[in-house]
Amino acid sequence: MEDTGMIPVYICGIVALYAVLRVLTEKQTLRKLVFLNVMNFAITGLIVLSIPDIMSLFAGIAYFVGSTLESNAIASTYAGGVPNE
Amino acid sequence: MQEVCPMNEYIFALLALIAILGAVSVYFKRSPFDKLIGLAVMMGGAIPLIVMKGYIDVAILVAIIMPLTSIFILQATGRNSDDA
Amino acid sequence: MPSMFVNIIIAALTSWILFITVDIIFRLPEKGGVSGAGAIGSAIASDNGSLNGGTMMGNIVCSPDASAGTLLAACGVYVAGLPGGLVATVLVFIGNRICHDPGYAGTTGAFCATLVITGFGLMGIPAEAFIAGMVIAILTIQGLSHPYASHLLTKLWRIRA
Repeated sequence: MEDTGMIPVYICGIVALYAVLRVLTEKQTLRKLVFLNVMNFAITGLIVLSIPDIMSLFAGIAYFVGSTLESNAIASTYAGGVPNE
Repeated sequence: MQEVCPMNEYIFALLALIAILGAVSVYFKRSPFDKLIGLAVMMGGAIPLIVMKGYIDVAILVAIIMPLTSIFILQATGRNSDDA
Repeated sequence: MPSMFVNIIIAALTSWILFITVDIIFRLPEKGGVSGAGAIGSAIASDNGSLNGGTMMGNIVCSPDASAGTLLAACGVYVAGLPGGLVATVLVFIGNRICHDPGYAGTTGAFCATLVITGFGLMGIPAEAFIAGMVIAILTIQGLSHPYASHLLTKLWRIRA
């Protein structure tokens, strides 16, 4: 019996791998951050899809908010500004 | 409702591959910003593995501490190591 | 009974329309909300891109906007139904405050997405299709071709402005 509940997991995994390849082959740092953001979306989806539990929802949200703050800090420091908290 | 992650082998291998690619890129890239991005890729591969093994509280801690560490590193060395 | 692929395509189109509409209503392509967004906008614009679209893509990366809100709302509804989506909306609101974000695109997007996804759930499209659909929608905007996506977003911005 084909388990169709795993198709979202596969999609998130393939998108994450594609985004990682784009991150590593991109020369400009700021455009790398955009592809990194795609990977963060896919990894957040993977975290929540793998364990359907309230705690994994918190783990996914913590990972996503942390990755957004980190990308913002890298981008604003790269541009010469003050890293936001 | 499954308790463990579906399709163990493929997703584990994919996430491990992402983590290894990230770690390798940290070594080979020159700019410190690219190194931080490589660390973020590595943690992006590692944190779902921690969640899937059941250590959700460890995953939450790591997911909060790793970006904080990156922000602190940028505050300590960011201004001096700008790369064109 | 529609298959999962059809569900995911419907979910991807819905979340694409939802998050771009909320972001444009909140004037995200106008200027950078946080300082990193403007830097990314200029970088995309300087390489055959367009500044307004690039600024919006920078805002998607650097602050919790409607795309983040929709994804986290989908995760919340998947885990715990409508209350889970509302919990995710509150957490996105806290994230908006942490980032000193002047707008509340993320919270509004999360709230609207919670209602939309719960509604679609009653019609038979499960919430995990929305998680995969949102990931695909973000891939099409930020993962394929930055200049093309920024021109598309600028054209949509001109309709609103």
